[in-house]
Parts: sequence; structure tokens; C-alpha cells
Amino acid sequence: MSDQSCVYIKKEWDIVAARQMGRDIATQVGFKTVDQARIATAISELARNIYLYAGAGKICFEAIETVQKKGITIKATDEGPGISDLAQVMEDGYSTSGGLGAGLPGVKRLMDEFDIISKSGEGTTIESTKWLR
Amino acid sequence: MRIPILKLHNYLLISIQTELDDKTAIQFQEDLLEKIHSSGATGVVIDLTSVDIVDSFIAKVLGDVVTMSDLMGAKVVLTGIQPAVAVTLIDLGIHLQDVPTALDLEQGLIKLRQELEE
Amino acid sequence: MEKILKDVVLDNSDEIVRMWIEQVKKNQGGAFYQSLSDEALENTNREFANAIFEGIQKGKIAKTPLDEFAEKLINLGWPLTYLTDGMQVFRRSVVKFIIHKWEDLDFSEADNYFELGDDYFPWVLEKVDEWVDPLVNELVSEYSGSWENIVSLQRMALQELSAPLIPVMDNITIMPLIGTIDTERAKMVMESLLDGVIKHNAEVVLIDITGVPVVDTMVAHHIIQAAEAVRLIGSRCILVGIRPEIAQTIVNLGIDLGKFPTKSSLRKGFQTALELTNREIVEDTNREEEIENLIESLDRSEEE
Ligand SMILES: Nc1ncnc2c1ncn2[C@@H]1O[C@H](COP(=O)(O)OP(=O)(O)O)[C@@H](O)[C@H]1O
Ligand SMILES: [Mg+2]
Repeated sequence: MSDQSCVYIKKEWDIVAARQMGRDIATQVGFKTVDQARIATAISELARNIYLYAGAGKICFEAIETVQKKGITIKATDEGPGISDLAQVMEDGYSTSGGLGAGLPGVKRLMDEFDIISKSGEGTTIESTKWLR
Repeated sequence: MRIPILKLHNYLLISIQTELDDKTAIQFQEDLLEKIHSSGATGVVIDLTSVDIVDSFIAKVLGDVVTMSDLMGAKVVLTGIQPAVAVTLIDLGIHLQDVPTALDLEQGLIKLRQELEE
Repeated sequence: MEKILKDVVLDNSDEIVRMWIEQVKKNQGGAFYQSLSDEALENTNREFANAIFEGIQKGKIAKTPLDEFAEKLINLGWPLTYLTDGMQVFRRSVVKFIIHKWEDLDFSEADNYFELGDDYFPWVLEKVDEWVDPLVNELVSEYSGSWENIVSLQRMALQELSAPLIPVMDNITIMPLIGTIDTERAKMVMESLLDGVIKHNAEVVLIDITGVPVVDTMVAHHIIQAAEAVRLIGSRCILVGIRPEIAQTIVNLGIDLGKFPTKSSLRKGFQTALELTNREIVEDTNREEEIENLIESLDRSEEE
């Protein structure tokens, strides 16, 4: 049982559109206010990174339901410059843009599962899941 | 989209009622500093009761605006941060350590008066 | 052919029910059944039988009276075996009845008549299984669904219990933490703490850790985060109930409690809370007594 929807990130406003759609799906899955905010914030971080560092890309959402649990998966994909040192970008405070450097390590804490695949020059894919408690 | 800034004696009151996108946030930062300059306000209350998402970018803008206002001689208090927003900020590792906070606008004004008296 | 078989069963439901009840009663000797009156058991058995027949009549259509029946039993705390045993016996009773009646059955008028010969037994079994199996599946899934519901309700109740908030007076709230704190619970504590602060308009929250057996770096980390979140929403935390051994671990582990005020006892913390909310105890009353009264009223509201 799954259901996938995507938002393309090209301009700044798409960040807002993405987190609104993510919040709607999270609400449908049954997440409470605090987790809705966690999910929407994580989406905002991933969408902004695409906008800032890759220029364009997309965010897809999937409501997942297994035998034991329900949840939402966010998948952020871009074909931007990629990330050469994955350990470095996962450190709190590391930023190449004068940002807070809280985005990626933050998403990992906001969500339950976090996977990042990236190759220099080829792009970045981040997949992150939150389970309904 | 511009966020209205109200003046009350020598305080400025701002209640953010819209979904904060990046442009609106930056515009607000500029408008507020300009208003502090033109009005000579000594205190600012920014009420976030209606804001349901603060990501690291908005948090940085808010934190910066507090520091910048401080430099210009105006104390800023943030009020009405929602529990869900507080929890996500903590997860992001953003503590806004030096930013004074209060439960609501009214308490914010009381806090400002106290801080300015000290 | 199947229709004829089914009609015979449905037309003779009275007799099958009699056979069934006779048989299930033999299985109902356990402690649970002895706690019931004969009448209650008899009525439930009849209701069960009726629900089964209605289920068979309606076929595989979702939501049969059996669901309602199962739900009712679950809420009353009947064991799953009552339902599964009942269905087993029912299966056997129907087969037995059909075999018994076989000689009298006339299939010659059936739409899709075919010769069964002496090998009719497997065919009968197969048909009966086709009626009974969906009902068994339905019952079991209904039962486990409701049971999960009950468990999650109990879990919710426990969660509420494990993070109570006590508004002692205007703007001052106490949260006594009792028991071990893991990551899951810490998240919950933080959420209920923040909601409580908003609900009670608390300017100061006292987190009492007297009842937390071990404070390691992880627990301390969670408590600090909760306090920081409380500060963000515009309130303040005081950590109270720091026992000597907890003070030692905090220092030995190098945990920095930072700006976050701590007090050894609830009483001292309360005094600080009063000061923070600009409520000094006036000198000409007996200070000790005043606090005593406050603590006492606090105990009372805790019991409510
Ligand atoms: N999609 C991406 N493509 C390329 N680089 C990225 C991407 N996302 C993040 N990065 C890099 O990782 C760094 C850390 O990101 P983040 O934790 O979100 O903090 P910030 O955005 O504040 O810099 C960024 O400064 C950037 O260099
Ligand atoms: Mg970022």
C-alpha cells in the first residue's frame, strides 16, 4: 500500500509548497501536531538545500504502511554538484553558505531514518522516514 | 507580502500572521531595522503565536534580527513560540540562547520593561 | 449443487445449533466459564450460533453480525479460544449433519449437476471450509484488531500517567518525573511539559527528578533539552530533587547544566519559583509555615 506525490523545486516558493504538501500527507497518515511540525521542518530543510546548492530537484512523499507500522518517507533528489565529504556535512554547524549548518544533522534528528547517497558532480539523494508512534 | 510593524510609545509590536517564506523573512528583517532607526524605539516584541514552522533559515533570520536590533539599541523579545516549533528547534540544535522569550505579547511587554529597567 | 447443500444447512439451522451447543458445552469447562452463570453462557452460545448462520447466509460480504458479536465479547474479556473453538465445533457439526442427511439429499435438480459417487466426502469438506474459513479469518482479525486497540489505549493511559503536570498556583506548575527515562519517554515528557505550560500559562515549571533512579548523560541531555524548549516558548524551568549521588554523577560526567537553575528539594525550588514570579513571602508571617501550607496544598492537588 503506497501513494507517492512529488513537488518540483525550482524557485523559492516551491519550498513552502513542498512543506505544505508534506504536512498534509503527514496529517492523513495520522501524525500529531508536533510530529507534523517535525516532518514539515525536515522537508523545508531538504527543499532549501536543493534550491540553494543544486538549483533544482524534487521532493517526493510516500505514505507507507507495513504490517506493524505506518509512516511517511521523504525523498529528496537533485542532479546538482553532489557532496564530497558526507561526514562533514552531517556535523552540526558545518555550512558552505553562511547558514547555521543545522539542516542535515537536524533532519536526521527530526526523522527516524536517514539515508544519504551523493556523488561529486552527479547529484544527491536523501531518503528519510518517520514512523507513527 | 510584508509584515506590518506597529508602534506603541517607544516599543514596536509585530505579530507574524503569515507562513514565513524566505523573501518575506528577509524583507521583514530590513523593514524592522529601518523602523527602529526611524522611530528610535528601545524595545521590540515579535509574536510568533500563529507561526507553525520555523526551519533553520527562518531561525537564523530571527536570531540575526535580535542581534542586529541589539546593536541598534533596541531590545527584542520573542513571544508565543508554539510547543511544536520549540521541539523542532531543539531537534535542529538551535537554542536561540541569547534571545529573551515570553509566553505571550502581554508578558513580552512586561519582560521588555524589566529588561530595560535593569 | 452447492446451493442445495447450503440450503439444507440453513433450513436445518435449529438442529445444527442443537448439535453444536451440545458439543461446545463439553469444551467449556475451564475456569473462565465457571465464573459465568449457566444462563449467560447459554445466551452467548445462542447469539454466537445465530451470528454464524447469518454470516454464512451473507457469504463473504464484509461486516457481518459476527464482527459485532466478536467486538462485544472482546470488550467483555472473553478469550479468543471461545471463538476459535466454537468455529471448529461448528465446522464439525455441519459436516456431521450433512453426512447424516446425505442419503436424503437430492441433487438431480441442480443447475450444474455432476456425479459425485462415493467420493462425496472431500467435496463436502471443501464446501463447508469455503463457508467457514472466511468467517474464522474475519473473527480472528476482528479480535486482534480490537485487542491492539485496547493495548494502545492502555499505552496512552500509561503515557499520560508517566508525565503528570500539576498546576500548583497561578503561573507555577510542577512536573514530577517518576521512573526510568528513555528516549521515547523523554520526547513524550517534553511534549506534555510544553503543552502543559501553555495550558496553565505557567511562567515557571519545576521539574522534580526525585523519582528518577538514574541520571546518566543521556537522561541529563533530555532534561536539558526539555528545559531549553520550555525557555523557547517563554517560560522557565527549575530542576529540583537533585540527590547527592545525582549531583556527583552530573559533575563526574562533566554535564553542563548551564544557566538552568537547580535546587536540592522541591521546597527550595518552590521558593525560587515564588521569587521569579514576584511573589515574595512577607516577613511578618511565619515563613516555614507558609511554605508548609503550600507544599501541603500541593500534595492535595497531586491526589486529585
Ligand atoms: N543537495 C545538496 N547538494 C549539494 N550540497 C549540499 C546539499 N545539501 C547540503 N549540501 C551541503 O551541506 C552543507 C550543510 O547543509 P545544511 O546542514 O543544510 O546546512 P546549511 O544549509 O545551513 O549550510 C551545505 O552548506 C552544503 O555545502
Ligand atoms: Mg540547509
